[in-house]
Amino acid sequence: MSDDARTDGGTTVKNTTALRERYDALKGEESTVAVVSIIGLLAFPWLFIEAPVVSGFLKGYESLASLILIWAIFAIGFDLLLGYTGLLSFGHAAFWGTAAYASANVSAYLTGSPLVMVLLGTVIAVGLAWLLGYLTLRRGGIYFSILTLAFAQMMFYMSSSVLATYPGSKTPLTNGENGFTGVSLDPLLGMFELNREMPSILGEFVGTWHYGFIAVFTFLAIVIAYRILNSPYGLVFKAIRENEQRTEFVGLNVWRYKLMSFIISGTFAGVAGSLFTIHSQYVPLSSLYWTSSGEVVIMTVLGGAGSLFGPIFGAAVYLWVENIVSGMPNIGAFWHLILGLVFVVVIVLVPDGIWGLPDAVRRAWGYISNLGGDR
Amino acid sequence: MSLLGQVASIVLNGLQQGAIYVLVAMGLSIILGTLKFVNFAHGALYLIGTYVGMLVALEIRVGGKLQEWGYTTLGLGWGFIAALVIVPIFVFVVGILMERFIARPFYDRPDTDQILLTFGLAIVVQEVFRIMFGGQSYSFELPQSVSVPVTVPLIGSYPLWRLILIGITAALVVTVYLLIEYTDFGLVVRAGTADAEMVRLLGIKISRPYILVFGIGAALAGVAGVVGGPLYAVNPSIGMEVLVPAFLVVVIGGVGSLTGAVLGGVLLGLTQAFLTQFTLVTPWFSYSLSPWSQVGIYVLAAVILLTRPEGLLGSAEVGS
Repeated sequence: MSDDARTDGGTTVKNTTALRERYDALKGEESTVAVVSIIGLLAFPWLFIEAPVVSGFLKGYESLASLILIWAIFAIGFDLLLGYTGLLSFGHAAFWGTAAYASANVSAYLTGSPLVMVLLGTVIAVGLAWLLGYLTLRRGGIYFSILTLAFAQMMFYMSSSVLATYPGSKTPLTNGENGFTGVSLDPLLGMFELNREMPSILGEFVGTWHYGFIAVFTFLAIVIAYRILNSPYGLVFKAIRENEQRTEFVGLNVWRYKLMSFIISGTFAGVAGSLFTIHSQYVPLSSLYWTSSGEVVIMTVLGGAGSLFGPIFGAAVYLWVENIVSGMPNIGAFWHLILGLVFVVVIVLVPDGIWGLPDAVRRAWGYISNLGGDR
Repeated sequence: MSLLGQVASIVLNGLQQGAIYVLVAMGLSIILGTLKFVNFAHGALYLIGTYVGMLVALEIRVGGKLQEWGYTTLGLGWGFIAALVIVPIFVFVVGILMERFIARPFYDRPDTDQILLTFGLAIVVQEVFRIMFGGQSYSFELPQSVSVPVTVPLIGSYPLWRLILIGITAALVVTVYLLIEYTDFGLVVRAGTADAEMVRLLGIKISRPYILVFGIGAALAGVAGVVGGPLYAVNPSIGMEVLVPAFLVVVIGGVGSLTGAVLGGVLLGLTQAFLTQFTLVTPWFSYSLSPWSQVGIYVLAAVILLTRPEGLLGSAEVGS
């Protein structure tokens, strides 16, 4: 959605061109993205919690910082599907919630190793994404949105009743309305307690192993998403978004690419869902409800669908409003309404999201300064 | 109860459940079929219908911000008949305003933008009600005269209101059907569904029938809110809960087809009623199917869509 923003940006000011080119060249490097994300992930807790002035306003705490990263992974994955392939799924809670339940079951009945939990949770989510993608992608456009919503609701109702316990026994599988409570975690790699601080300067500035563990996955998510999107494979996703029929006529198997995009997106959701279990050590039934799907939709669109960093930003804004603003006097009770209104305004005025705001302003400025010009 | 009585009871319960789905789905389907507009806020219209109906019919003890602002009871208390008349008109106006100021600017935008916009709107409406009235459940009490059970052959006693509900729905279905099939207005609407550009070229101002279609669809959802509201607890999330099955009805019935919406709604209602009431009895064990009642409608929808992707009564071209 924002790829072509630079080319139709209106007037070019001559003496900044060289600088602009160097900036653009640097911006396009994969290593730049990697370095920027590492710096960002390391600095985020400090900025959010301890930095003077900024943190006084943000009032962050470490658990929220970890939660933001988890939802950021989810939103990045969702953006691969919505922002790049152009498919709006309203059922991503299915993958998030299923992975969360799967890793919770792994920890309760198999092993509490965080890595194994994430691995198995993700594998289950991928399998489910394959199945649901196969069913829902039979129909495009709005039907896809409706069907994904419907199947995710089906998963919700199954978890609330039929799948509350393992068939034929009393052992909890999802534990129905109460949510899954029996999560028990082992130290990471058998050595590092997740709730301990990391050694020396890392512990001082960044925080616990828990944050570090999640940050590593976030870093991988960003880099992998960047790599996919800038590969020929990812280019096909964008081609499908722009014109499905034309892509088909070029000789590409659109159906297969769409399914793959759906599965990749489900994989990210699976990683995020598994991390959520590790984070909260509890899986509420609402993680499968449509509200969870809605949340990731809002985060992605609010931040900016079709950009790599927009959804991360959107996740941060959403969770900040949900957890910090909701506690503020006077406006606290209105937090959800505020988010809804901002979301509507963003869709009407800036479809590229908050991340696309600078481009939108530049475009508007270029338009205004051209008005009296050479047309 | 005899076997025949059991079947009759399942059919009645199914029709009653299906009636709500049909009312909501009919509006969704004609709006989607003629205006090609996806309305995720249709559930919000149901929500508005229920709350406004409750406020017109009764005086309720309110919570939320209204309570903080010093209101303890609110409502006109004009009775249920008044609610049945006023709510459709009110929601009709809401629908017309929605078409003019929200939907129309978005006709040229992509489908995803329409979905996102109306989804955002649904959240806003839901939150406004949650903040004003609080998140708690209200009970929308029916007047004595219709809440009494009556004797129905085969079944025994059955709540009168549920029978009336089925009757109201049937009457509305017939009315809308006649309106679309046998009036000049309906002719323009059907022509617009087939080829909107051609209708415009013939010199017919199509935006006026469109706004009416939107209003009628909204009013139907409003009626559903009034007649269905008393059956369940009333809280801000009922809108979204009725929207998802209604969407399923539209998709399995076939978009734009009124008969499809009716068929789909009744089918889902019957499935749900059957699963709720049926217990599998064998000499060794008995297994109640009621935990599957919500899951069942989705399974049914999945099966239908896998065999007929365009829906039961949809034309193949719409499905592509």
